[in-house]
Amino acid sequence: MATTDTLPAAEIPAHVPPELVREIGLTTGPEFLAAPHDYMAKLHQTHPPIFYSVNPLVGNAWVTIKHEDAFFALRHPEYFTTAGATPFPRDPNNYFHFIPLEIDPPHHRKYRSILDATFSPKGVLRLESYMRKLADELIDSFIGKGAAEFTTDFGRPFPVSIFLDLMGLPQEMRDTFVGWAVDLLHSQDRMTAGLAMRGIEAYLAQVIAEKTAKPDEGVISQIIQARPDGTPLTEREIFGFTFFLFIAGLDTVFATLNNIWLWLARNPDRRLEIIAHPDQINAQVEELLRVFSVTFSGRTLTQDIEMRGVKMKAGDKFTSILPACNYDPEVFLHPTQVDFSRPRKPILAFAGGVHSCIGAHLARLEIRIGLQQWLRRIPDFDVQAGTNIEYWPGGVVGPKTLPLRW
Amino acid sequence: MASVTFVEVSGTEHVIDVAEGENVMRAALNAGIEGIIGECGGGLACATCHCYVDEDWTDRLEEAEPAEIDMLECTASQRRPTSRLSCQIIVDKTLDGLIVHLPEAQY
Repeated sequence: MATTDTLPAAEIPAHVPPELVREIGLTTGPEFLAAPHDYMAKLHQTHPPIFYSVNPLVGNAWVTIKHEDAFFALRHPEYFTTAGATPFPRDPNNYFHFIPLEIDPPHHRKYRSILDATFSPKGVLRLESYMRKLADELIDSFIGKGAAEFTTDFGRPFPVSIFLDLMGLPQEMRDTFVGWAVDLLHSQDRMTAGLAMRGIEAYLAQVIAEKTAKPDEGVISQIIQARPDGTPLTEREIFGFTFFLFIAGLDTVFATLNNIWLWLARNPDRRLEIIAHPDQINAQVEELLRVFSVTFSGRTLTQDIEMRGVKMKAGDKFTSILPACNYDPEVFLHPTQVDFSRPRKPILAFAGGVHSCIGAHLARLEIRIGLQQWLRRIPDFDVQAGTNIEYWPGGVVGPKTLPLRW
Repeated sequence: MASVTFVEVSGTEHVIDVAEGENVMRAALNAGIEGIIGECGGGLACATCHCYVDEDWTDRLEEAEPAEIDMLECTASQRRPTSRLSCQIIVDKTLDGLIVHLPEAQY
């Protein structure tokens, strides 16, 4: 890609060498949005391992496409802090932190440890039979029609219902939560997003009061009841934790399911392969997560650092392009091939290090059960002829709609 | 500083100096020792920092807490009585000379 001169020079720090400046339209540009995963895989052929990405819409940052660099950044919070690194508008008069993401070690363990048991591999298995029943109910609602809009008929309600169950919230709220998720994360204007934000805030305030008075076993109650260092979390902490779980867990699983089902719809032989090897389901899920990871890891440098000869300074933003890192040819041979028999290596779908996704085991289970229940009942399906697949711009990568036929 | 030895399945040994207060998983990663992954960064969420503590040393470690014991059920390699998650082993002077054995696989 050519270097850019579309931004005033003041926007690019003086210490950034001009030859490393690139405008790749990460999450926003037309080439990216035409086929985002292909685009991110190809960066290894056309771009240096670390370069400076300029983007008038989302801001400028150093970026890496190397698996090793991403893990380095994720494992060294003393250089790469999450503080201030999540772009999300918040009312400065009623500020909250995304907990535990925006809290650096050592304090972050205080929050994270509250939910370790619930989200552990064993902990999430408690939801398994609920998830299977839910998947079947959703499939029941459209299987007879021979058609579905996957994103609204399955991709959205499946993780949202599971989220509600986990939090201790009523299933009757599902449509409302779906609406909030869409408005907050995919609306075109700030007013719609702002209204959704206020709706969620009001609802969660009410829920927090209810669950303080009448605790149950859900995650919100666990957060309220927790006494790290002997004291409860403040209202802003409880809100920040709960709200972050809401955003973190919904769009990501939604997008991942949508990406996977698009691939399944286009690859009948691979569906047969998955169906023929049920004992390989965990490896299949892991490989699909590698090729269809959906998000990015943003950090801010707290100290100067040099990586691969590139001198970066304290205050610089640094983004690990996790999907591109998952296509690193030095780590994954033939990286764009979906190969279920790869020797397992750490994938970056869930980032890594102390802020590695707390929902990783839950997400893996959701995808596993989604695949098992769906392929058992609808093993054969296509994308509706004439469909033009479009991707959402923004920090979670996936198709907007996915009309399927069988 | 304390000396920690990592023994590969092949028998090859790696001896490193570890600062007091550092955990064995991070020490391994910092020293580039393959065979410890620590995907979740010490959060007791992945069981990929599994090691077998040398029998001469097992008694000198603090006992595993319930969360670690739970996660030890998720190790890829066989769980043994000497199994520990290395992110939970915090180095101090009393562990100078610690020996841990790496498992065949972390996945």
